[in-house]
Amino acid sequence: MISVRIKNINFKSPIIAASGTFGYGDEVKDFVDLSKVGCIITKSITLDERKGNPSPRILDSPSGMINAIGLANVGVEQFCKQKIPSLNLIDTNFIVSVAGSKIQDYVNVMDRIEKSNGRHVGYEINISCPNIKKGGMEFGVDENVTYSLVSKLRKITDKIIIVKLSPNVTNIEDIALSVESAGADAISAINTFVGLAIDYKTGKMLLNNKYGGVSGPAIKPLALAKVHKIYSQVKIPVIGIGGITSFKDVVEFIRVGASMVQVGTLNYRSPSIIENFNDQLKDFLKYNQINSIADLVGNYIER
Amino acid sequence: MDRNVKSKFKIIWSMRSWSFKYIDWRMTTAYPSGWRHIVRHPLQFLKDFYNYLSWCQEIDKDVDI
Repeated sequence: MISVRIKNINFKSPIIAASGTFGYGDEVKDFVDLSKVGCIITKSITLDERKGNPSPRILDSPSGMINAIGLANVGVEQFCKQKIPSLNLIDTNFIVSVAGSKIQDYVNVMDRIEKSNGRHVGYEINISCPNIKKGGMEFGVDENVTYSLVSKLRKITDKIIIVKLSPNVTNIEDIALSVESAGADAISAINTFVGLAIDYKTGKMLLNNKYGGVSGPAIKPLALAKVHKIYSQVKIPVIGIGGITSFKDVVEFIRVGASMVQVGTLNYRSPSIIENFNDQLKDFLKYNQINSIADLVGNYIER
Repeated sequence: MDRNVKSKFKIIWSMRSWSFKYIDWRMTTAYPSGWRHIVRHPLQFLKDFYNYLSWCQEIDKDVDI
């Protein structure tokens, strides 16, 4: 009823825990029922270990938050040695998020993970992180660079490749089309919007990094529009992200064209909340006599 | 108060199921030096934690479960 298939992989639910909000995945397995989550996406993994940006690097904002964590992670070598063995035991699919500051970094990270004994079903390519000085979003704003990156990664793996797009572009459909033509299997939309926080009394900027990424319910209408624009242009599945806090939000994203959704900021409130969405989604489909979640994808009425 | 909004005490109480591994990850996510930051700047941490609980109450207004 609510299972989703992308490429050759079955996901038991359309609900995904977004990258950077569920640790590496193994941190939550003892107190979250992962059988009720369709998939976990790990923290973004880079070639070398990164400490990220100095604090303050997470701030609250109206109906959301601003983060400038800066891709803090253990690096691919430690990830393969320490994290993959415990991730292999979790009761759901997991996808590895990959980030870098140049194309060869992404290639090397993916190459190393391919050689591990990971049970991961795919990769999410983070070309849209707004919080690092070099790389990340630089890829996500140029369709030629994006094409070059994704086509190189496509040659390395047969597993699912999802590309996470930045909303901080003039025309997100163009980037989506280049990602599709380079061989990606799905698109995640969207990453955070670039934001800034300042103290009105002192004039002091509140994030050490100056700029951060805005997420949470505040960006949901913006995210819905981006997902719909991408869905209207590409044939590959779109995974909607942006301010989901209830199963109703999940249905909204699916109706505008998302095949699956990612829940992010809400996990900072409590990582257990998304456990509830599956049953609520099933009840909604049953009540409305809808056989499959796939029947809801792009099921909207224009005024 | 919105029916979904829990008191700060109840929010803290609901965290009792969180594993140490998860709390450790949350600490290092917020502060690059993790627990050392809390030891060095306990008042700042308490202020941040209070702000986090207020943020949780704000987010609860949007949560529909």
